[in-house]
Order: sequence, then C-alpha cells, then structure tokens
Amino acid sequence: MKTEDLIAALAADTVTDTPPRAILWPALVFAIAAAVLVVWGLLGLRADLVQSLANPMSVMRYVLTGAFGALGVRLALVLARPEGRGSARLWPLVVPAAAALAMLVWAYASTPGEGRQMALVGKTMTTCLVMIPLLSVLPVAAILFSLRRGATTTPALAGFAAGLGGSGFAAMAYALYCTEDSPLFYVTWYGLAIGGVTVATTLIGTRVLRW
Amino acid sequence: MDDWSSLLAEANAGDSRAYTAFLRTITPVLRGIVRARGGGLGEAVCEDVLQEVLLAVHLKRHTWQVGSPVRPWLYAIVRYKVVDALRARGGKVEVQIEDFGDVLAAEPGPDPTEAADMAKMIGLLDDRSGRLVRMIGIEGASVAEVGKALNMTEGAVRVALHRAFKTLADLRERHIR
Repeated sequence: MKTEDLIAALAADTVTDTPPRAILWPALVFAIAAAVLVVWGLLGLRADLVQSLANPMSVMRYVLTGAFGALGVRLALVLARPEGRGSARLWPLVVPAAAALAMLVWAYASTPGEGRQMALVGKTMTTCLVMIPLLSVLPVAAILFSLRRGATTTPALAGFAAGLGGSGFAAMAYALYCTEDSPLFYVTWYGLAIGGVTVATTLIGTRVLRW
Repeated sequence: MDDWSSLLAEANAGDSRAYTAFLRTITPVLRGIVRARGGGLGEAVCEDVLQEVLLAVHLKRHTWQVGSPVRPWLYAIVRYKVVDALRARGGKVEVQIEDFGDVLAAEPGPDPTEAADMAKMIGLLDDRSGRLVRMIGIEGASVAEVGKALNMTEGAVRVALHRAFKTLADLRERHIR
C-alpha cells in the first residue's frame, strides 16, 4: 500500500477517541466509591471515626495516603501524553515520603521502649497487608485503563504512577476502618502495602501500557 | 498557533480535509526522520516504518491537547515508534533522537515506494474491514460510496473504519514481538 493511499484512508476516519483525562475522572471516582463501600460493608467503619478526626496522628493517615494518591494520579495524567515523559516531575513525591519518615522517627522516639513493639505490630497488620492491595485493584485498574487510552512513552513509569495513585487512595479508604493511629504502625504497614502494589503495577505497566 | 496546530485542531474536530493536509505535511518530515535513523535498512523498510508511525499518530491524535505545541507531541510518538519498529526489524537503533530540527524532509523515492507490511496486515483483517480500508485508501472511494457498496450506513462505515485501524495496530504489535 502506498503511503498516499494510507493517508487517504486515515483521513476518512473522523472518529476520535476520548482523551485519557476524560475517562480517568469518572472511572476513578467510581473505583474509590466502590473501595469505600467495600470497607464500610465488609470491615465496617471504625466506631470512633468522628472523634478520631480530632487526633492529628490519625488524620495524617488520610493526608499522607491522599497525597500519594493525588500525586500518583497527577503523574499518570502527565505521562498519559507522549511528550509527558519530558515534563513529568517526581520530586513532589519526596514531600509526603519525607513527612511519613519524619513521623515514623518522631513516633519511635516518643513511644516508650516497651510500647514500641506493640505499636509497630498492632492488632491488624495482616488485615492491613491483605486489604489495602485488594482495595487497590479497582482504582489501579481505572488508572491503567485510562492510561491505555493515552500514549505513554514510558510504560514502566506510568505503571508506577498508576500503582501509587490507586493504592494511595485505597489506603485512604482503608483508614476509615483501621484504628491503629500510631505512625509506627501505619507508616510501616500502609507503606509496605502501597509499595508492594506500586512495584507490581510498575511491572504490569511494562506489559499493558505498550502500544 | 502555528500551521500544524491549527490543522491538527481542525482535524480532531472532525475536518477530514484539514486532517489530510496535516498528514501530508508531516509525512515528508517523518520520512526524513525514519531514513536518518534506519537508512541502512533500505527505503522499502523505512516506508513500512513510516506507515507504522502514521498509524500510531492517527490512533493517538486525541492525546494532543489543543493549545499545546504539536512538534514535541508528534516527535515523542515518532521517537517511541521508530525505536520500536527499527528494533523489531533487527536494525541497530540510535536511541538519541532528541533533536529532529536538522532532519531534512524527504520525498518518496523516484519509484513511488509500495510498502508491503501494511498491505499484509490489511490482509489479516476480516473481509469487510479489509475491503473498507482498501476501497477508501486505494480506490479513493468516499465513506458514502463504501456504505452503498457494502450496504452499511455512513455511521457504521465510520465506526468500522476506526475499528479496523485499531485492529491493524494490534496486529502490528503482535507481529513484531
């Protein structure tokens, strides 16, 4: 086929796909709502949810996970465009990461020696490490789905962004159930769960985000 | 907005004449880039790669945002696809194609190159999709004429055509890996 003929055929196709951004928002809102409903229906919200909002250490769980969620999604949207690779900035991620580490260190120093072990392991470590990845499935899938509509030129990094954004919001939903308010617990185990999902999604990205 | 931006903006709004103009404008430039990177593979292979790039640009044109410059967007797609396509053909690729500014536009060779790969891929489509693409591309039929010949509404022809190009890109992916 001559290139001129191909151009004629391409030009006759006036159907344009929806930009990734327009797909992402509805899909993500739906996925996060579903995650919240699962937490509510399956695990139940924490009984002292309203009172816990007066505790800054407890509120920081939403702030940190929400920050990773939002930064991950924003990064994914930049990377959905082919030229996004050049303009994507990773350094904003340092802010919540540094804040989380600082809180971990602070909690370690301010928790009396005999209480550290208990605060670190908590009572729900296993639930946390199982539920956050499970709750991540829909939000991560929503972001990957819209990235596939995009044209990322860096599939691994885009997968990383999808994993971080999706699991960040999933952990935020999980925090509605979780009563472990010590940074020793949540920075460690939320962090591990988010990290695990993000590594897995980075690998998935290298496969499903190629085009 | 430069000429490329306005053409692509009109094209994405559904103006197929502007789109033809856009594709005709970028094709010699892209051909120059492909030849500069994969010249050792011969003109025919380069034309195959060029067509692959054009198909990718076509299917990803909705990722360009009106108001942003076209060239960085376009060259990012080209870089990604050219590296991919040349690697798949066993060519040693220079990945450092950062600056395309100095690449000269290239016209097709004196003997208008008949690229083989795309025709092969079209042959793998289902009968109706294949006919559709050939009628519009090679025979120069309009969407309305194709609709009449294949007993389809114009809307159905447009949807089928779009789907055919997506399938072609998928086939391409599977074949070069």
